[in-house]
Amino acid sequence: MSMKISIIKPGLLSTVQDLGRYRYLSQAVPVSGAMDELAHRLANKAVGNDDNDATIEFTYADASFKAETDILVAYSGDGAFLFYNDQVMPAEKPLFFPAGSVIKLIHNAIGVRTYLAIAGGWDVPDVMESKSTYLTADFGGFKGRILQKADVLIGGTTISEASQEILKELIHRSLTYPNWRISRESLLPEKRQNIRVVLGNEIGWFDAASIISFLTNSYTVDRRSNRMGYHLSGKPLVRKVKKELLSTAVTPGIIQVTGSGDLIILMADCQTTGGYPRIAHVAAVDLPLCAQLKPGNTIHFSEISSDEAEELFLEREQDLSLITTAISLKYIKT
Amino acid sequence: MNEQLGCFETGIPIEIYGLSEKSVTITFGTAIDNDLLGLITDFNQLLLQNPFSGLISTVPAYTTLTVFFDPLSVMLSDLPGEVCFEKVSAHLNKIAQIKREKSKVIADNVVIPVCYDDDFGWDLSIVARTNKLTETEVIDIHTAGEYVVFMIGFVPGFAYMGGMDTRLSTPRKEVPNAKIPAGSVGIAGNQTGIYPMETPGGWQVIGRTPLKMFNVTRSQPSLLKGGDLVTFKAIGIDEFNACAEL
Repeated sequence: MSMKISIIKPGLLSTVQDLGRYRYLSQAVPVSGAMDELAHRLANKAVGNDDNDATIEFTYADASFKAETDILVAYSGDGAFLFYNDQVMPAEKPLFFPAGSVIKLIHNAIGVRTYLAIAGGWDVPDVMESKSTYLTADFGGFKGRILQKADVLIGGTTISEASQEILKELIHRSLTYPNWRISRESLLPEKRQNIRVVLGNEIGWFDAASIISFLTNSYTVDRRSNRMGYHLSGKPLVRKVKKELLSTAVTPGIIQVTGSGDLIILMADCQTTGGYPRIAHVAAVDLPLCAQLKPGNTIHFSEISSDEAEELFLEREQDLSLITTAISLKYIKT
Repeated sequence: MNEQLGCFETGIPIEIYGLSEKSVTITFGTAIDNDLLGLITDFNQLLLQNPFSGLISTVPAYTTLTVFFDPLSVMLSDLPGEVCFEKVSAHLNKIAQIKREKSKVIADNVVIPVCYDDDFGWDLSIVARTNKLTETEVIDIHTAGEYVVFMIGFVPGFAYMGGMDTRLSTPRKEVPNAKIPAGSVGIAGNQTGIYPMETPGGWQVIGRTPLKMFNVTRSQPSLLKGGDLVTFKAIGIDEFNACAEL
Protein backbone atom coordinates (compact mmCIF):
# COMPACT_ATOMS: atom_id res chain seq x y z
CA MET A 1 0.00 0.00 0.00
CA SER A 2 1.27 3.46 -0.86
CA MET A 3 2.06 6.05 1.75
CA LYS A 4 -0.01 9.19 1.35
CA ILE A 5 -0.18 12.76 2.62
CA SER A 6 -2.58 15.63 2.06
CA ILE A 7 -1.53 19.25 1.98
CA ILE A 8 -3.19 21.37 4.65
CA LYS A 9 -1.24 24.55 3.94
CA PRO A 10 0.99 24.60 0.87
CA GLY A 11 3.38 27.40 1.85
CA LEU A 12 4.84 30.03 -0.44
CA LEU A 13 6.19 27.89 -3.28
CA SER A 14 6.16 24.13 -2.95
CA THR A 15 7.02 21.92 -5.91
CA VAL A 16 8.04 18.34 -6.60
CA GLN A 17 11.67 18.09 -7.79
CA ASP A 18 14.32 15.47 -8.51
CA LEU A 19 17.89 15.91 -9.73
CA GLY A 20 16.74 17.57 -12.93
CA ARG A 21 16.13 17.08 -16.60
CA TYR A 22 19.38 16.99 -18.56
CA ARG A 23 18.41 15.20 -21.76
CA TYR A 24 16.27 17.88 -23.41
CA LEU A 25 18.59 20.86 -23.03
CA SER A 26 19.00 21.07 -26.81
CA GLN A 27 15.26 21.81 -27.04
CA ALA A 28 15.77 24.58 -24.46
CA VAL A 29 14.14 22.59 -21.68
CA PRO A 30 15.87 23.82 -18.48
CA VAL A 31 17.51 21.48 -16.00
CA SER A 32 15.12 22.43 -13.16
CA GLY A 33 15.32 20.02 -10.22
CA ALA A 34 16.11 20.65 -6.57
CA MET A 35 17.84 24.00 -6.02
CA ASP A 36 19.77 22.53 -3.09
CA GLU A 37 20.79 19.15 -4.50
CA LEU A 38 22.71 18.28 -1.37
CA ALA A 39 19.73 18.69 0.96
CA HIS A 40 17.50 16.89 -1.56
CA ARG A 41 19.90 13.95 -1.70
CA LEU A 42 20.39 13.75 2.07
CA ALA A 43 16.62 13.70 2.66
CA ASN A 44 16.37 10.84 0.17
CA LYS A 45 19.28 8.93 1.66
CA ALA A 46 17.82 9.23 5.16
CA VAL A 47 14.71 7.25 4.11
CA GLY A 48 16.66 4.72 2.05
CA ASN A 49 15.76 6.20 -1.36
CA ASP A 50 17.80 6.75 -4.49
CA ASP A 51 19.25 10.26 -4.70
CA ASN A 52 17.18 11.00 -7.80
CA ASP A 53 13.82 10.13 -6.22
CA ALA A 54 11.42 13.06 -6.17
CA THR A 55 11.16 15.21 -3.03
CA ILE A 56 8.96 18.19 -2.22
CA GLU A 57 10.89 21.47 -2.25
CA PHE A 58 9.32 23.88 0.27
CA THR A 59 10.20 27.57 0.17
CA TYR A 60 10.39 29.03 3.68
CA ALA A 61 7.97 27.66 6.31
CA ASP A 62 4.29 28.30 6.98
CA ALA A 63 3.21 24.99 5.46
CA SER A 64 1.63 21.87 6.91
CA PHE A 65 0.46 18.46 5.83
CA LYS A 66 -1.37 15.45 7.22
CA ALA A 67 -0.25 11.84 7.08
CA GLU A 68 -3.21 10.03 5.47
CA THR A 69 -1.46 6.68 6.07
CA ASP A 70 1.52 5.69 8.18
CA ILE A 71 4.47 7.44 6.54
CA LEU A 72 8.25 7.21 6.56
CA VAL A 73 9.74 10.60 5.61
CA ALA A 74 12.91 12.65 6.12
CA TYR A 75 13.76 16.28 5.58
CA SER A 76 16.81 18.39 5.03
CA GLY A 77 17.51 22.03 4.21
CA ASP A 78 17.45 25.41 5.89
CA GLY A 79 14.05 26.94 5.18
CA ALA A 80 12.07 25.24 7.91
CA PHE A 81 12.01 22.73 10.74
CA LEU A 82 9.49 19.92 10.84
CA PHE A 83 7.30 20.23 13.90
CA TYR A 84 5.18 17.39 15.29
CA ASN A 85 3.48 16.91 18.67
CA ASP A 86 4.95 20.18 19.95
CA GLN A 87 8.47 19.08 19.12
CA VAL A 88 10.99 19.99 16.48
CA MET A 89 11.87 16.87 14.53
CA PRO A 90 15.54 16.24 13.75
CA ALA A 91 16.63 16.70 10.13
CA GLU A 92 18.49 14.10 8.03
CA LYS A 93 16.90 11.23 9.97
CA PRO A 94 14.10 8.89 8.93
CA LEU A 95 10.88 9.95 10.69
CA PHE A 96 7.89 7.69 11.20
CA PHE A 97 4.48 9.31 11.60
CA PRO A 98 1.30 7.28 12.08
CA ALA A 99 -1.80 7.93 9.98
CA GLY A 100 -3.59 11.06 11.12
CA SER A 101 -0.46 12.92 12.23
CA VAL A 102 -0.32 16.61 11.39
CA ILE A 103 3.17 17.91 10.60
CA LYS A 104 4.00 21.59 10.35
CA LEU A 105 6.93 23.43 8.83
CA ILE A 106 8.09 26.15 11.17
CA HIS A 107 10.50 29.00 10.60
CA ASN A 108 14.24 28.35 10.24
CA ALA A 109 16.13 31.64 10.05
CA ILE A 110 19.15 30.20 8.25
CA GLY A 111 17.89 29.65 4.73
CA VAL A 112 15.11 29.25 2.23
CA ARG A 113 14.54 25.71 0.97
CA THR A 114 13.63 22.47 2.69
CA TYR A 115 13.23 19.05 1.07
CA LEU A 116 10.77 16.40 2.17
CA ALA A 117 11.45 12.86 1.01
CA ILE A 118 9.11 9.90 1.44
CA ALA A 119 10.07 6.24 1.26
CA GLY A 120 9.71 5.22 -2.40
CA GLY A 121 9.89 8.84 -3.62
CA TRP A 122 6.89 11.03 -4.47
CA ASP A 123 4.96 9.32 -7.21
CA VAL A 124 4.34 11.78 -10.02
CA PRO A 125 4.57 11.01 -13.74
CA ASP A 126 7.89 11.27 -15.57
CA VAL A 127 7.86 14.12 -18.07
CA MET A 128 10.83 14.00 -20.42
CA GLU A 129 12.55 11.52 -18.11
CA SER A 130 12.27 13.62 -14.95
CA LYS A 131 9.79 14.32 -12.16
CA SER A 132 10.96 17.93 -11.73
CA THR A 133 8.45 20.75 -11.95
CA TYR A 134 9.08 23.54 -14.46
CA LEU A 135 6.50 26.22 -13.71
CA THR A 136 7.18 28.54 -16.66
CA ALA A 137 5.91 25.87 -19.04
CA ASP A 138 3.52 24.16 -16.58
CA PHE A 139 4.98 20.68 -16.87
CA GLY A 140 6.51 18.05 -14.61
CA GLY A 141 6.10 17.43 -10.90
CA PHE A 142 2.58 17.47 -9.48
CA LYS A 143 0.38 18.41 -12.46
CA GLY A 144 2.95 20.94 -13.63
CA ARG A 145 2.13 23.35 -10.82
CA ILE A 146 2.85 24.42 -7.26
CA LEU A 147 1.20 22.40 -4.51
CA GLN A 148 -2.17 23.63 -3.30
CA LYS A 149 -4.36 23.07 -0.29
CA ALA A 150 -6.00 19.59 -0.30
CA ASP A 151 -3.58 18.11 -2.85
CA VAL A 152 -2.97 14.44 -2.10
CA LEU A 153 0.52 13.15 -2.80
CA ILE A 154 1.46 9.50 -2.72
CA GLY A 155 4.76 7.73 -2.29
CA GLY A 156 6.04 5.27 -4.87
CA THR A 157 4.89 1.67 -4.42
CA THR A 158 8.40 0.29 -4.78
CA ILE A 159 10.19 0.81 -1.49
CA SER A 160 13.85 -0.08 -1.14
CA GLU A 161 15.01 -2.85 1.17
CA ALA A 162 16.70 -0.24 3.39
CA SER A 163 13.43 1.74 3.65
CA GLN A 164 11.53 -1.41 4.60
CA GLU A 165 14.04 -2.27 7.31
CA ILE A 166 14.07 1.28 8.72
CA LEU A 167 10.27 1.22 8.82
CA LYS A 168 10.24 -2.18 10.56
CA GLU A 169 12.75 -1.03 13.17
CA LEU A 170 10.83 2.15 14.01
CA ILE A 171 7.44 0.43 14.20
CA HIS A 172 8.81 -2.50 16.20
CA ARG A 173 10.44 -0.22 18.76
CA SER A 174 7.64 2.38 18.74
CA LEU A 175 10.06 5.12 17.74
CA THR A 176 9.55 8.26 15.72
CA TYR A 177 13.19 8.21 14.67
CA PRO A 178 16.34 6.14 15.17
CA ASN A 179 19.40 7.29 17.11
CA TRP A 180 21.58 7.82 14.02
CA ARG A 181 21.53 10.76 11.67
CA ILE A 182 23.40 11.93 8.61
CA SER A 183 25.71 14.85 9.39
CA ARG A 184 24.94 17.52 6.81
CA GLU A 185 27.17 20.01 8.64
CA SER A 186 30.24 17.91 7.97
CA LEU A 187 29.58 18.23 4.22
CA LEU A 188 29.17 22.01 4.28
CA PRO A 189 31.97 24.53 4.71
CA GLU A 190 31.99 26.56 7.91
CA LYS A 191 31.92 29.93 6.22
CA ARG A 192 28.74 29.72 4.25
CA GLN A 193 28.89 33.26 2.91
CA ASN A 194 32.13 32.46 1.09
CA ILE A 195 31.28 31.08 -2.35
CA ARG A 196 34.09 29.44 -4.28
CA VAL A 197 34.14 30.16 -8.00
CA VAL A 198 36.07 29.12 -11.11
CA LEU A 199 36.78 32.00 -13.48
CA GLY A 200 34.78 31.89 -16.71
CA ASN A 201 35.52 31.95 -20.40
CA GLU A 202 34.83 35.69 -20.79
CA ILE A 203 36.96 36.74 -17.80
CA GLY A 204 39.23 38.63 -20.18
CA TRP A 205 36.35 40.87 -21.21
CA PHE A 206 36.55 42.71 -17.88
CA ASP A 207 39.13 45.20 -16.75
CA ALA A 208 41.62 44.19 -14.07
CA ALA A 209 40.07 46.44 -11.43
CA SER A 210 36.70 44.77 -11.99
CA ILE A 211 38.13 41.29 -11.65
CA ILE A 212 39.82 42.26 -8.39
CA SER A 213 36.61 43.89 -7.25
CA PHE A 214 34.65 40.72 -8.08
CA LEU A 215 36.99 38.63 -5.92
CA THR A 216 37.29 41.05 -2.99
CA ASN A 217 34.04 42.99 -2.61
CA SER A 218 30.89 41.56 -1.14
CA TYR A 219 27.61 41.28 -2.98
CA THR A 220 24.07 41.31 -1.67
CA VAL A 221 21.31 39.07 -2.97
CA ASP A 222 18.52 41.37 -4.10
CA ARG A 223 14.76 40.87 -4.35
CA ARG A 224 14.84 39.79 -7.97
CA SER A 225 15.88 36.30 -6.98
CA ASN A 226 14.07 33.09 -7.70
CA ARG A 227 14.53 29.56 -9.05
CA MET A 228 15.84 30.97 -12.35
CA GLY A 229 18.60 33.06 -10.85
CA TYR A 230 19.76 35.56 -8.27
CA HIS A 231 20.43 39.20 -9.04
CA LEU A 232 23.24 40.53 -6.88
CA SER A 233 23.78 44.13 -5.92
CA GLY A 234 27.26 45.47 -5.41
CA LYS A 235 29.88 47.37 -7.32
CA PRO A 236 29.07 47.05 -11.05
CA LEU A 237 31.79 45.47 -13.17
CA VAL A 238 33.33 47.33 -16.08
CA ARG A 239 33.92 45.68 -19.41
CA LYS A 240 36.93 46.46 -21.52
CA VAL A 241 35.72 44.34 -24.45
CA LYS A 242 32.47 45.69 -25.82
CA LYS A 243 31.64 42.95 -28.32
CA GLU A 244 28.41 40.95 -28.14
CA LEU A 245 28.46 37.35 -27.00
CA LEU A 246 26.46 35.19 -29.39
CA SER A 247 24.02 33.14 -27.34
CA THR A 248 25.60 29.92 -26.15
CA ALA A 249 24.79 27.24 -23.60
CA VAL A 250 24.72 28.17 -19.92
CA THR A 251 24.06 26.02 -16.89
CA PRO A 252 23.11 26.50 -13.23
CA GLY A 253 25.93 28.07 -11.23
CA ILE A 254 27.19 30.33 -14.00
CA ILE A 255 27.62 33.97 -13.03
CA GLN A 256 26.61 36.30 -15.85
CA VAL A 257 27.32 40.00 -16.07
CA THR A 258 24.48 42.09 -17.50
CA GLY A 259 24.86 45.12 -19.74
CA SER A 260 24.83 47.42 -16.71
CA GLY A 261 27.62 45.42 -15.05
CA ASP A 262 25.44 43.62 -12.51
CA LEU A 263 25.91 39.99 -11.55
CA ILE A 264 23.35 37.21 -11.93
CA ILE A 265 23.95 33.70 -10.57
CA LEU A 266 22.00 31.28 -12.74
CA MET A 267 20.03 28.72 -10.77
CA ALA A 268 18.05 25.51 -11.44
CA ASP A 269 15.36 26.91 -13.77
CA CYS A 270 17.75 29.09 -15.78
CA GLN A 271 17.51 29.30 -19.55
CA THR A 272 19.63 26.80 -21.46
CA THR A 273 21.36 29.53 -23.46
CA GLY A 274 22.41 33.07 -22.72
CA GLY A 275 24.20 36.00 -24.30
CA TYR A 276 25.78 37.73 -21.32
CA PRO A 277 29.53 37.27 -20.69
CA ARG A 278 30.29 34.72 -17.98
CA ILE A 279 32.80 35.97 -15.44
CA ALA A 280 32.82 32.75 -13.40
CA HIS A 281 30.85 29.74 -12.28
CA VAL A 282 30.08 28.69 -8.73
CA ALA A 283 31.91 25.50 -7.76
CA ALA A 284 29.38 22.66 -7.91
CA VAL A 285 30.00 21.84 -4.23
CA ASP A 286 29.05 25.39 -3.20
CA LEU A 287 25.90 25.68 -5.32
CA PRO A 288 23.77 24.21 -2.48
CA LEU A 289 24.91 27.17 -0.34
CA CYS A 290 23.58 29.54 -2.99
CA ALA A 291 20.26 27.68 -3.01
CA GLN A 292 19.73 28.73 0.61
CA LEU A 293 20.47 32.45 0.07
CA LYS A 294 17.68 34.93 0.60
CA PRO A 295 17.30 38.57 -0.36
CA GLY A 296 19.52 40.71 1.85
CA ASN A 297 22.16 38.01 2.41
CA THR A 298 25.71 39.07 1.68
CA ILE A 299 28.26 36.82 0.00
CA HIS A 300 31.75 37.09 -1.39
CA PHE A 301 33.55 35.07 -4.00
CA SER A 302 36.92 33.36 -3.78
CA GLU A 303 38.71 31.86 -6.74
CA ILE A 304 39.69 28.22 -7.09
CA SER A 305 41.01 26.42 -10.16
CA SER A 306 38.82 24.17 -12.28
CA ASP A 307 40.95 21.20 -11.19
CA GLU A 308 40.30 22.03 -7.51
CA ALA A 309 36.58 22.41 -8.20
CA GLU A 310 36.55 18.99 -9.84
CA GLU A 311 38.49 17.43 -6.99
CA LEU A 312 36.10 18.92 -4.43
CA PHE A 313 33.19 17.62 -6.48
CA LEU A 314 34.64 14.10 -6.66
CA GLU A 315 35.41 14.10 -2.92
CA ARG A 316 31.87 15.22 -2.14
CA GLU A 317 30.48 12.42 -4.32
CA GLN A 318 32.71 9.95 -2.51
CA ASP A 319 31.43 11.16 0.87
CA LEU A 320 27.85 10.93 -0.33
CA SER A 321 28.25 7.40 -1.59
CA LEU A 322 29.78 6.38 1.75
CA ILE A 323 26.61 7.60 3.49
CA THR A 324 24.50 5.30 1.33
CA THR A 325 26.88 2.43 1.98
CA ALA A 326 26.74 3.01 5.74
CA ILE A 327 22.93 2.99 5.77
CA SER A 328 22.85 -0.18 3.66
CA LEU A 329 25.36 -1.91 5.94
CA LYS A 330 23.29 -1.01 8.97
CA TYR A 331 20.00 -2.31 7.62
CA ILE A 332 20.63 -4.90 4.94
CA LYS A 333 21.93 -8.30 5.88
CA THR A 334 24.41 -9.51 3.34
CA MET B 1 43.79 17.25 -33.44
CA ASN B 2 45.89 18.04 -36.48
CA GLU B 3 45.83 21.82 -36.30
CA GLN B 4 46.27 22.40 -40.01
CA LEU B 5 43.48 20.11 -41.12
CA GLY B 6 41.04 21.56 -38.58
CA CYS B 7 37.68 20.04 -37.76
CA PHE B 8 36.67 17.48 -40.42
CA GLU B 9 39.56 18.72 -42.57
CA THR B 10 37.72 22.01 -43.14
CA GLY B 11 40.66 24.03 -41.86
CA ILE B 12 38.41 25.36 -39.11
CA PRO B 13 40.09 24.68 -35.76
CA ILE B 14 38.03 23.86 -32.71
CA GLU B 15 38.67 25.25 -29.26
CA ILE B 16 37.36 23.71 -26.06
CA TYR B 17 36.77 25.42 -22.74
CA GLY B 18 35.36 24.14 -19.45
CA LEU B 19 31.90 25.52 -18.65
CA SER B 20 31.30 23.76 -15.31
CA GLU B 21 32.35 20.56 -13.56
CA LYS B 22 29.81 18.77 -15.75
CA SER B 23 30.21 20.47 -19.11
CA VAL B 24 32.62 21.74 -21.74
CA THR B 25 31.96 23.98 -24.72
CA ILE B 26 33.48 23.59 -28.17
CA THR B 27 33.87 26.83 -30.13
CA PHE B 28 33.79 26.43 -33.92
CA GLY B 29 33.87 30.07 -34.98
CA THR B 30 32.92 33.60 -34.08
CA ALA B 31 30.07 34.63 -36.39
CA ILE B 32 26.61 33.34 -37.34
CA ASP B 33 27.07 31.44 -40.56
CA ASN B 34 25.24 28.67 -42.45
CA ASP B 35 28.39 26.62 -43.10
CA LEU B 36 29.29 26.77 -39.42
CA LEU B 37 25.76 25.62 -38.56
CA GLY B 38 26.31 22.61 -40.85
CA LEU B 39 29.62 21.85 -39.21
CA ILE B 40 28.15 22.03 -35.69
CA THR B 41 25.13 19.92 -36.71
CA ASP B 42 27.35 17.23 -38.22
CA PHE B 43 29.76 17.26 -35.27
CA ASN B 44 26.81 16.92 -32.90
CA GLN B 45 25.44 13.95 -34.83
CA LEU B 46 28.82 12.23 -34.97
CA LEU B 47 29.32 12.73 -31.24
CA LEU B 48 25.87 11.38 -30.40
CA GLN B 49 26.56 8.35 -32.63
CA ASN B 50 30.00 7.88 -31.05
CA PRO B 51 29.48 8.87 -27.41
CA PHE B 52 32.09 8.65 -24.67
CA SER B 53 31.28 6.98 -21.39
CA GLY B 54 29.35 9.49 -19.27
CA LEU B 55 28.00 11.68 -22.10
CA ILE B 56 24.57 13.02 -21.07
CA SER B 57 23.50 15.51 -23.71
CA THR B 58 24.61 18.29 -26.04
CA VAL B 59 23.43 21.83 -26.73
CA PRO B 60 24.18 23.31 -30.16
CA ALA B 61 24.21 27.10 -30.42
CA TYR B 62 25.27 29.67 -33.06
CA THR B 63 29.01 29.01 -32.93
CA THR B 64 29.33 26.44 -30.16
CA LEU B 65 28.40 22.94 -29.10
CA THR B 66 28.22 22.32 -25.36
CA VAL B 67 28.66 18.81 -24.05
CA PHE B 68 27.18 17.73 -20.69
CA PHE B 69 28.56 14.68 -18.91
CA ASP B 70 28.65 12.77 -15.65
CA PRO B 71 32.10 13.43 -14.15
CA LEU B 72 32.10 10.15 -12.20
CA SER B 73 31.65 8.05 -15.36
CA VAL B 74 34.20 10.13 -17.25
CA MET B 75 36.80 9.64 -14.51
CA LEU B 76 36.22 5.87 -14.60
CA SER B 77 36.64 5.78 -18.39
CA ASP B 78 39.96 4.89 -20.01
CA LEU B 79 40.14 8.14 -21.98
CA PRO B 80 43.60 9.72 -21.69
CA GLY B 81 43.96 12.58 -19.20
CA GLU B 82 44.06 13.37 -15.49
CA VAL B 83 40.87 15.42 -15.19
CA CYS B 84 37.46 15.36 -16.89
CA PHE B 85 38.32 18.31 -19.12
CA GLU B 86 41.32 16.47 -20.60
CA LYS B 87 39.47 13.20 -20.98
CA VAL B 88 36.43 14.73 -22.67
CA SER B 89 38.64 16.97 -24.85
CA ALA B 90 40.59 13.93 -26.01
CA HIS B 91 37.38 12.31 -27.20
CA LEU B 92 36.09 15.48 -28.88
CA ASN B 93 39.37 15.97 -30.72
CA LYS B 94 39.07 12.39 -31.97
CA ILE B 95 35.55 13.13 -33.26
CA ALA B 96 36.95 16.13 -35.16
CA GLN B 97 39.20 13.74 -37.08
CA ILE B 98 36.49 11.29 -38.14
CA LYS B 99 35.69 11.45 -41.79
CA ARG B 100 32.67 13.71 -41.98
CA GLU B 101 29.43 12.07 -42.99
CA LYS B 102 26.26 13.71 -44.11
CA SER B 103 24.03 14.00 -41.04
CA LYS B 104 21.97 10.90 -40.38
CA VAL B 105 19.23 13.10 -39.00
CA ILE B 106 18.16 14.97 -42.08
CA ALA B 107 16.98 18.49 -41.42
CA ASP B 108 13.21 18.78 -41.82
CA ASN B 109 11.41 21.25 -44.03
CA VAL B 110 8.62 22.72 -41.94
CA VAL B 111 5.81 24.95 -43.17
CA ILE B 112 4.36 27.15 -40.44
CA PRO B 113 0.95 28.76 -40.98
CA VAL B 114 0.79 32.31 -39.61
CA CYS B 115 -2.14 34.66 -39.23
CA TYR B 116 -0.78 38.20 -39.69
CA ASP B 117 -4.02 39.98 -38.66
CA ASP B 118 -3.58 43.12 -36.54
CA ASP B 119 -5.04 41.39 -33.49
CA PHE B 120 -2.09 39.01 -33.51
CA GLY B 121 0.65 40.97 -35.27
CA TRP B 122 0.48 44.11 -33.20
CA ASP B 123 3.97 45.27 -34.16
CA LEU B 124 3.50 44.75 -37.91
CA SER B 125 3.14 48.52 -38.33
CA ILE B 126 6.45 49.12 -36.50
CA VAL B 127 8.29 46.69 -38.79
CA ALA B 128 6.64 48.32 -41.82
CA ARG B 129 7.43 51.86 -40.68
CA THR B 130 11.03 51.03 -39.72
CA ASN B 131 11.68 49.61 -43.17
CA LYS B 132 9.48 52.02 -45.18
CA LEU B 133 7.22 49.21 -46.38
CA THR B 134 3.49 48.62 -46.31
CA GLU B 135 2.18 45.93 -43.95
CA THR B 136 1.23 43.79 -46.93
CA GLU B 137 4.79 44.04 -48.25
CA VAL B 138 6.12 42.94 -44.86
CA ILE B 139 3.88 39.86 -44.97
CA ASP B 140 4.84 39.11 -48.59
CA ILE B 141 8.55 39.33 -47.83
CA HIS B 142 8.24 37.30 -44.62
CA THR B 143 6.34 34.48 -46.37
CA ALA B 144 8.63 34.49 -49.42
CA GLY B 145 11.76 33.62 -47.48
CA GLU B 146 13.27 30.33 -46.38
CA TYR B 147 14.66 30.32 -42.85
CA VAL B 148 17.18 28.12 -41.14
CA VAL B 149 16.91 27.18 -37.48
CA PHE B 150 20.22 28.10 -35.83
CA MET B 151 19.38 26.98 -32.34
CA ILE B 152 16.66 26.37 -29.79
CA GLY B 153 17.01 28.55 -26.72
CA PHE B 154 15.37 31.06 -24.36
CA VAL B 155 12.37 28.87 -23.43
CA PRO B 156 11.48 25.27 -24.44
CA GLY B 157 11.01 25.08 -28.20
CA PHE B 158 11.95 28.69 -29.05
CA ALA B 159 13.71 28.55 -32.44
CA TYR B 160 16.14 31.29 -33.44
CA MET B 161 15.89 31.47 -37.23
CA GLY B 162 18.23 33.24 -39.59
CA GLY B 163 18.11 33.91 -43.29
CA MET B 164 15.54 36.68 -43.07
CA ASP B 165 15.40 39.27 -45.86
CA THR B 166 17.29 42.28 -44.49
CA ARG B 167 14.49 44.53 -45.73
CA LEU B 168 12.56 43.37 -42.60
CA SER B 169 15.34 43.96 -40.05
CA THR B 170 13.96 45.69 -36.98
CA PRO B 171 15.63 46.15 -33.62
CA ARG B 172 14.06 44.48 -30.63
CA LYS B 173 11.93 46.59 -28.31
CA GLU B 174 13.73 48.74 -25.77
CA VAL B 175 11.17 47.80 -23.16
CA PRO B 176 10.09 44.16 -23.48
CA ASN B 177 6.40 43.23 -23.40
CA ALA B 178 5.37 41.62 -20.12
CA LYS B 179 3.27 39.02 -21.90
CA ILE B 180 3.66 37.69 -25.41
CA PRO B 181 1.06 35.04 -26.27
CA ALA B 182 2.06 31.50 -27.27
CA GLY B 183 2.48 31.12 -31.04
CA SER B 184 3.53 34.75 -31.60
CA VAL B 185 5.92 35.19 -34.52
CA GLY B 186 8.50 37.87 -33.92
CA ILE B 187 11.40 39.74 -35.48
CA ALA B 188 14.54 40.88 -33.68
CA GLY B 189 17.38 42.37 -35.70
CA ASN B 190 17.81 40.06 -38.65
CA GLN B 191 16.25 37.01 -37.03
CA THR B 192 12.75 35.67 -36.77
CA GLY B 193 11.36 33.38 -34.09
CA ILE B 194 8.19 31.97 -32.57
CA TYR B 195 7.21 32.14 -28.90
CA PRO B 196 6.17 28.59 -27.89
CA MET B 197 4.49 29.70 -24.67
CA GLU B 198 3.34 32.90 -23.03
CA THR B 199 6.40 34.70 -21.73
CA PRO B 200 7.76 38.23 -21.49
CA GLY B 201 9.70 39.16 -24.62
CA GLY B 202 11.25 41.95 -26.62
CA TRP B 203 10.74 40.82 -30.19
CA GLN B 204 8.50 42.72 -32.63
CA VAL B 205 5.39 40.56 -32.97
CA ILE B 206 4.08 40.34 -36.56
CA GLY B 207 1.65 37.41 -36.41
CA ARG B 208 0.67 34.20 -34.69
CA THR B 209 0.72 30.52 -35.60
CA PRO B 210 -1.96 28.10 -34.41
CA LEU B 211 0.66 25.32 -34.19
CA LYS B 212 1.91 24.15 -30.83
CA MET B 213 5.65 24.82 -31.04
CA PHE B 214 6.33 22.80 -27.91
CA ASN B 215 4.32 19.87 -26.64
CA VAL B 216 5.62 17.52 -23.96
CA THR B 217 3.50 14.65 -25.26
CA ARG B 218 5.41 14.47 -28.57
CA SER B 219 8.52 12.29 -28.82
CA GLN B 220 10.37 15.41 -29.96
CA PRO B 221 8.57 18.02 -27.84
CA SER B 222 10.03 20.97 -29.77
CA LEU B 223 8.48 21.21 -33.25
CA LEU B 224 11.73 22.61 -34.63
CA LYS B 225 15.35 21.62 -34.13
CA GLY B 226 18.70 23.10 -35.11
CA GLY B 227 19.30 22.83 -38.88
CA ASP B 228 15.61 22.65 -39.90
CA LEU B 229 14.41 24.77 -42.83
CA VAL B 230 11.26 26.78 -42.26
CA THR B 231 8.82 28.66 -44.48
CA PHE B 232 5.82 30.68 -43.35
CA LYS B 233 2.38 30.53 -45.00
CA ALA B 234 -0.11 33.35 -44.46
CA ILE B 235 -3.54 32.19 -43.24
CA GLY B 236 -6.74 34.05 -42.37
CA ILE B 237 -8.39 34.19 -38.99
CA ASP B 238 -10.90 31.46 -39.92
CA GLU B 239 -8.19 29.01 -40.79
CA PHE B 240 -6.31 30.00 -37.63
CA ASN B 241 -9.36 29.23 -35.51
CA ALA B 242 -9.94 25.96 -37.35
CA CYS B 243 -6.45 24.73 -36.42
CA ALA B 244 -7.45 24.57 -32.78
CA GLU B 245 -4.12 23.26 -31.52
CA LEU B 246 -3.59 26.02 -28.99
